[in-house]
Amino acid sequence: MDLLNQIIRQPVDPDYAIAAAREHQPAQGRWTLGVLAMIIGALFAVAALQTTRTAPALQLERTELINRVHSAEREQDQLRGRVTALTEEIATLRAAALGDDHAAHTLETRINALDPVVGTVPVSGPGVLIVVDDSPSAAADARDRVLDIDLQILANGLWEAGAEAVSINGHRLSNLTPIRSAGDAITVDYRSLTRPYRVEAIGDLRTLQAGFVESSAGAWWNDLAQNRQMRYEISDVKQLDLAADPGMVLRHAGRATS
Amino acid sequence: MIPLVGLLAGIVLGIVLEPSIPQVLQPYLPIAIVAAMDALFGAFRAYLEGTFTDRVFVVSFISNVLIASAIVYVGDQIGVGSQLATGVVVVLGIRIFTNAAAIRRALFHA
Repeated sequence: MDLLNQIIRQPVDPDYAIAAAREHQPAQGRWTLGVLAMIIGALFAVAALQTTRTAPALQLERTELINRVHSAEREQDQLRGRVTALTEEIATLRAAALGDDHAAHTLETRINALDPVVGTVPVSGPGVLIVVDDSPSAAADARDRVLDIDLQILANGLWEAGAEAVSINGHRLSNLTPIRSAGDAITVDYRSLTRPYRVEAIGDLRTLQAGFVESSAGAWWNDLAQNRQMRYEISDVKQLDLAADPGMVLRHAGRATS
Repeated sequence: MIPLVGLLAGIVLGIVLEPSIPQVLQPYLPIAIVAAMDALFGAFRAYLEGTFTDRVFVVSFISNVLIASAIVYVGDQIGVGSQLATGVVVVLGIRIFTNAAAIRRALFHA
C-alpha cells in the first residue's frame, strides 16, 4: 500500500519543483509546448477515429461468423434428411432381400422389436413429458442452471424406469447420443439446445412416471427443484411422436449365412 | 493559450489528415494517450502552483509515453500484456484523479 500512498501523495513530477527552484526560465520555449500539445491532440483524434472505425468491422465479422454457422446447420439438416431417406431405403431393400421363408420372418420380428429401442425408426405412443428449466435466479448464480449432468441423469432415470424411447427437445436419444456442455449451452447429438428443455419418453403409462419419481434420478431432480428452484414439471401424455435418431446409420452390413 | 490552441489544432489535424498508425504500434496507442493525459494534468497542476517548466514537461511527457508503452510491450512479449496495461492504467489513473482534484481545488477553491 506504500506504493499507492506515494502515488497519491506525490502526483506531480518532483522535477517541476526542482527545476523551478534551480532556475527561473523565461517564456521562450512556448512553441515546443504548442507542438507537443498538437501531438497529444492528434493522438486523441487518431485513437478515437480508429476505435469508431473498427467497430463496424468487428460487427461485420461477427455477423459473417453467425451466417456461416447458420448455413452449416442448414447443410447438416439436409444431410440428416438424406440419412433418414437412405435408412428407409435400406429397410425396404433389406425386407426385399430377406425373402419370405421362416428364418426371414424370425429375423424380421427381431428387427421390428429392436428398431424402436435402438432408435433407428420413429416411434409414437403414450408416455411422459418432463419440462425442466433454469431457476429464475440463474443469472445471479451459475449453480442454479441446468447442467449437462442433470439432463444425463434425467435421461438415464427414464431408461431405468422403463422408457422405450427418449428424446430431448426433439433430439432422439440412442446409444450414440452424447449430452454435453459446449460453452454456455447444452448439446444433444452435437446440436445446442434452447431452454426450456422438454424431455419426452415413451413407455408404459402405468409404471413410467412412478418408476422415474422413485428412482435416484427422480430424487436428484426433486432436490434441484426444491433447493435450487429449478423448473421441473412431469406429466403424462397420451400420444407422443418421437423422430428417429439420424445419427444411427448403417455402418456395417454382411450377407446372412443361413 | 498556445497549448490550448495546439491541442485543438492537433485534434483537427488528426481528424482531417487521418494519419494511419502502423499495425505494430496500434495496441500501445491507448496506453500512450493515458500517459499523455497524466503528463498534461501534472503539467497543469504545476502551472497553477507556479512551478511549471517547459523542459520538464516535454521530458516527462516523452518519458511517460515511452515507459508506459515499453511496459506494455514487454508484458506482451512475456504474456501478461493486458495485466500490465491494467496496472499502468490504474497507477496513471490514480495520478490523474489526484491531480484533477488539486486543479479543481486551485481553480474553484472547492
